[in-house]
Formats: sequence, structure tokens, C-alpha cells
Amino acid sequence: MKLVIVVQRYGAEINGGSELHARYVAEHLSTHADVRVLTTCARDYVTWRNEWAPGEERVNGIPVERFAVVRERDTIDFRDRSSRLFGERHSIHDELGWLESQGPTSPTLMKRLSRVADDCDFVLLFSVRYSPAFYGARFAAQKAVLVPTAERESALGLSIFPPVFRGVRAIMYNSFEERALITTLSSNTHVPGVVVGVGSQIPDAVDPARARSKFGLHNPFIIYVGRIDANKGCANLFRNFIEYTAGLSRPLDLVLIGTPVLPIPEHPRIKHLGFVADQDKFDAIAGAELLVMPSPYESLSMVALEAWGLGRPVLASARCDVLVGQCVRSNAGLYYEDAREFFAALDRILCDPALAATLGRNGRAFFARHYSWPVIERKYLDMFDELRRTPVTHSMEPLPGWLARRARTCPPAADVVHALPAGAVGDSHVLERR
Amino acid sequence: MADQNPQHRRQHFHRGRRGDRRPNERRGPGSTQSPEQTQAPRENREHVDVEQIMRDIRSRISQRHGVELTTQQIQELAARRLEAILDPRTVKPSLLEQIRRSTSTPLDTTSTPELTYSFEDTTIYDSSRGSLRFFRRLLNPLLKLFFNPNPLISALSTQARLNQAAAQREAERERRQAEWNALHYEILQRLVLEVSRTSLEAQQLTLRIEALSAKVDFAERRARSIEGTLHQARPSPRHESTPPPAQVAQAPREPGAPDVAAAPVGQEGGPGEGGRRRRRRRRGRRPQGVTPEGATIGAVAGSAVAEPRLSDGGEVSDIDEGDEDEGGPDIGDETESLDAAASPIENDGVESEAIAGSVEVTPEPEPPAPDTSLDPRVESAPAETPEPDRPPPTDPFGD
Repeated sequence: MKLVIVVQRYGAEINGGSELHARYVAEHLSTHADVRVLTTCARDYVTWRNEWAPGEERVNGIPVERFAVVRERDTIDFRDRSSRLFGERHSIHDELGWLESQGPTSPTLMKRLSRVADDCDFVLLFSVRYSPAFYGARFAAQKAVLVPTAERESALGLSIFPPVFRGVRAIMYNSFEERALITTLSSNTHVPGVVVGVGSQIPDAVDPARARSKFGLHNPFIIYVGRIDANKGCANLFRNFIEYTAGLSRPLDLVLIGTPVLPIPEHPRIKHLGFVADQDKFDAIAGAELLVMPSPYESLSMVALEAWGLGRPVLASARCDVLVGQCVRSNAGLYYEDAREFFAALDRILCDPALAATLGRNGRAFFARHYSWPVIERKYLDMFDELRRTPVTHSMEPLPGWLARRARTCPPAADVVHALPAGAVGDSHVLERR
Repeated sequence: MADQNPQHRRQHFHRGRRGDRRPNERRGPGSTQSPEQTQAPRENREHVDVEQIMRDIRSRISQRHGVELTTQQIQELAARRLEAILDPRTVKPSLLEQIRRSTSTPLDTTSTPELTYSFEDTTIYDSSRGSLRFFRRLLNPLLKLFFNPNPLISALSTQARLNQAAAQREAERERRQAEWNALHYEILQRLVLEVSRTSLEAQQLTLRIEALSAKVDFAERRARSIEGTLHQARPSPRHESTPPPAQVAQAPREPGAPDVAAAPVGQEGGPGEGGRRRRRRRRGRRPQGVTPEGATIGAVAGSAVAEPRLSDGGEVSDIDEGDEDEGGPDIGDETESLDAAASPIENDGVESEAIAGSVEVTPEPEPPAPDTSLDPRVESAPAETPEPDRPPPTDPFGD
């Protein structure tokens, strides 16, 4: 079986969510199929500057073809387009302009994809909001297996995406919430889909003491791993944590791992380790009291899954349906809506080691059952088998013509997303967002 | 794109518990049931229900702080109360609407009365047709032969002036009335808003008083307990009649718990001191919702229950007598708690082999000792949460 994977960035040192997701999937599926990756020369997801040389190379044994991006992102133009499309009526032409403004645009990548698509069995496309996956799905619709990595954000409400969700061959969702969102948005029940998610490469042995001694973590600590950004809820996290520890005599630190985009407050209890090696990251997570995940937008939090894989409880933001759904389904984490709930939930876990241990055990079982690599690989392979057996019954809707494309008939994207159902998908009832 | 939600209603994926559907059934377009959806049900939860814990946390927060309402919500509440005050059945039906209109529509002060015509000597002979005007003027002397039109002209001219003055007065009166209406409505609205806010504050203060009285009650009982312990430390003739060892052993204790705690429990079980040395019940575990007071007291008492785990061992005996558990969400027993506190990683390592079998967690050389200064916030203290050892934090929300 031949697989082509299309993703906007690819590299051993790239730790972005969907890019890492793509690399993990490529490396694990390479044991079952002939995998080839098509990507851009960009390393930075903001500028899309060409930093790698075009051509073919191997990354962890996987052949990777890189293609140049024709234009770097103009952030001001992109911001203006976004605010207009998200808040006003607009046209399909505007949306396509937004997609191009967002980047990365690489016509040579699309040409190459149209050539190799004939020779491969399936094309795995990651992150529908980026140009390679969007146009890749249109170039190779009959073989396109989409991994949308869609979040509940305004961009999802653009009118160019539902036809893609209806036209690809199959969709591999990251979570039940994501599937519900996309299904409601695009009415694509005829498209085969499965909730897969992604596993993680947790090492066989972790040593919390090693992380403690290496980074000088002498106090009990909670940990955040990921980009330190206001969009990830870090500003709220800092505020809540500082407030929580204002009169706390017990030692408790907040350890941050990741690249800072937001200024980190100078506080004796907040320790930033920067970007660390994977082994150190896992050691630190294993030594933490819990992992805190304040992000309101996550299609799947890999680091939360890693914490569960290591038997640590998770404290997540209740504003993220996916994280709440996972906490509820796994019974392995608590969630908070505001500062008071943050304090109370944190207390609940920290003050009750038995509860923390039970949550951790549940998390480990949840991870082993749904997110271990054999399970993930099996879901992909089963989907490929099913697609090979069943004939194609649907096709991709073409983009509107020149005139229709310019008609300002598309509703504001933010309104579209706002009207979509909200809440975590639990097994008993919906956790309504208060 | 087809409009999937023409009414722009915010849907939800599932029905609530009271819904008639089965739990995994999805609502809305494309709500098909897939195999993995049915596989999604709760995992092996090991006596933990995250939703229940969150409900407990939220109910405690709301008990502590009352129902937190935003300014908009308070205004909506006040508007509803105002509707009740201005009940159309008891007041003029259109009054409320009229007042609303008068407050919402700006006053038109530029409009002038319509009766502003002037009545001159020539007014009765005026015409839009020039020829008619000419003949009237020509025949005017003839008309004056029949009657004198001057008094008529004078009367009508005076009436026109009076009309104008009356119209101006009326306009001024209406303007003032509208201003008064607006002012009254605004005052009324603000009064109702303040009353609503005050009643909410009163409700919160009532809850706080209940919580504080529960604390006082607890502190008194604790003081009595300490007094009894001190009293017990003195040699007393009663101690000669030591209860049988079987009775002493009835109070389960941790292996490492100090003896100073256990001794009074066994010795004070005698009928002579039953009044002073009551056995403390774990009221924190009592099912919530019996009465708000009971719930609050339970929370406070519960905070003391966890104290021995985290504070000095001298109070262990004062805490958990093991057989007092009255049900409710119970996460493991005390031994499990202590083990987990002593080495959570090690504890997980066992589970790792049992469940995943893939991750080997190296035990730490020095497992973290049970924290002796853990001081969670009072507002969020769960049933097993220790009593705070610091002054209550300032409320970030200005409560």
C-alpha cells in the first residue's frame, strides 16, 4: 500500500500539534505501507518563510519532499481579512483570498500531488484550514483521507470548508466533539469517518527524579507543556496560579515547558524550563502533581494524553469541549470555568492524593485503551481496508464560477460557528457551557 | 453553503439526563451512531466520577459565595421584579408601555402648535385667486353697509392668540410630564435594581453567617476535644478502670499514628465523659442537600477530617475513627490516602504494570513526604480538605 501524506510543515524538530501528529502517523504507518510526505520548505508557521531547501530528504527514515512557498504571510493583511470574514458578510472569493493570505501557498506542491496521487492508494491530508490540505483534497478527492484537526474557532465557519468535508473520501477525527462539530456544520454523514486521535511516543522508562535534579525542581509542582501563549490560556493560568499561591504556605511551583510567546511573570513559584528534550519532558510530567491545560481551543491535546499515559491527572479548561469530554469519558481529570473553580479543582486534586492516584490510573487506562499506537494504527488500517472494499459514492463539489464566487452571500464565519452545538460529548449527558 | 441552523439556535449534542433518549444518542443533523461512539462510554473509573466531583465543587462554591450574577443578570432580575410591581392587572394596563415609550423616545421640543395662524383685518377677504380677492375688495364697502365686520375680525384675532398661548402651555406641560415620567421610571428602575442587589447580598451574607456559625461550632468542639485530651493526660483515678483491649482496638488507626491520639479515644469512651467527649462524626461525608446549613457544616467538618494526613500526627486520633463513614462519595480509605501521599509515583508504577505495562516509572529516591502545610482555600475545601492555615484570601472578584 502506498500512502502520501500532505502537511504544511514537517520536521523532526517541529512540535506543532498537527505537524507532530502527521509525523507520528507517518512513522507508525511506515511499518505497514510505503509512506511519502509532501510538505513545504517552511519552518515557521507564522511567516511561512522558506527555511529548508526544496527537494527530497529523509526524516527518521521517511522520504520527505519539500516545495517552496511562493509568498510569506503578510500578517496585517491576514489580520484584516480575518476580521472582515469573521464579522461581515462576504464572498467565496474573499475566503479564497483569506486562505491564500494565511498560507502556505505552494503551487509546485499541488502539481506534484496531482502527479503522485494517481500512483498511491490514499492521500492523508492534515489540517484543513491550511492551503495544502484544502487544495490537496480538491486535487485528489477520490483518495483524500482528511485529518481535519478542526477546532471550534471562527475560521471553521468559512463557507469553503463544508464542501471539502462532504467531498473527501474519508475523515479521521481527533475527538467526538470535533466529529459532531464537522458533521453538524457540513452534513457529511455519507462520508466514512472514525474518531482516531493520535498516540504519543512515551518512553519505556521515565524518571521524575532525573527531571527534579536536572532542573532543580525541589518543590511539588504542577506543569504546563506547550506554547506559552495568551491564545492557549496561559495569561489566565498565570493569574489564577499567582492568586492561588498568594497566601499559600505550602510549597507549590508552576513549571512551564515550551516556547514563550507571552511574557512570563517574574514570580518565585513560576519556573520556565524552556524547550526541553522529549525525555526530560516526560520525566517532568511524570514528576508533576498534575498537568494543567488552560487552552480553550484544542482539537486534541497530545500533552494531556501524554500526562494520562504517564498516570498523571489533568486539570483542563472547561471552555474547551474536547478536553472536558475527554476528562469526563476517561474520569481522569477535572476542569474549571473560572478562577474559583480553578482553586477548588486544584485543591481537590492536591489535597487528596488518593483521588489524584485514581485519576491517574484512569488516565493511564484510557490512554492504553484508545491512544496506544497499536490501537491508532489498527484504526487507520481498518479504514483503508474499508475504503478499498467500498466503491466511491460521492464526489467533491466544484468551487463556484467566476460570478457566483464574487456574490456576497456567505454569512459571517463567527456567527456560523456560534450557532453550532456546543458542549462536551459525554456518555450520559451534555456538559453545558455555563 | 446550506444554512444548517436557520433559527440560529444554539443546539446541544445530547439531551440531559431527564431526556427520553438513550445516553449515546446524538441530536442534530448527522447524528448517527458509530461503533466508536458506543465504545466511548465511561472507562474504568475506579470509584471516581469526575462529573460528580465537579458538581460538588460547584455546589460548594455557590454555597460559599451565593449565586454569582453578572450586572446584566441582576438587571434582568430587576426588570422582572419591576414587571411584577407594575402589574397591569392592578395598574392601568397601558401605563407601563406608555412610560417605557416616554422614556425611550426623545422629547420633541422643536414642534410648534398648529394653531399659529394670525388673523388680520384682511384675512376674511383673502383668497388664493387674485380675481376673487379683487372683487371682494371692490364689494367691501357694500358689505359694510349690511354689518360691521370689525368686531368679528377682532374676536377671531384674539381667539387665535389665545389658541396659540394655550397650545404652548399644553406643549410645555406635556414636556414636563414626560420628563417626570422618565425620571420616575428611572428612579423606580434603579430602586428595584438596588433592592434586587441588596437581597442577593443579604442572601450571600446569610450563607456566610451559616458557614461562620458552622466554623464556630466546629472550633468549640475542637476546643473541647483538646481540653479533654489535656485533661486525660493527667493521672486520674478513673484511668484505673481501663477498658478491655478489645474496645481500644475498635478505633482503627494508621500504623504510624502517634499514640497520644489513640489513647484518649479509647479512654474517653466511658459513660462518665460522654457529654464532653463526643465522637466526631464525619459530617463532611453526609450526603449534601439535606439543608444548606448541614451542607456547610459538613464541608467545614470535612476539612478537619483530612487534617491528620497533612498536619502533625498529634491530631490523628481526633479525626477518623473509621467506622463513622456515612456513605457518599468516598475515594479510598485512609491507608490508601497515606500511601498515595507518601509516594504517588510509586503507587502509579504498580498500576502501570497492571494496566499498560509499557511505562516503567522509576521510583523516586525520596518520595515526597505528606505535606504538613497544605492549606487549600476555605471556599473550595472538599470533604477531605484540611482546614486552612492562613488567613482567608482576598476575593479576586471583589466579593
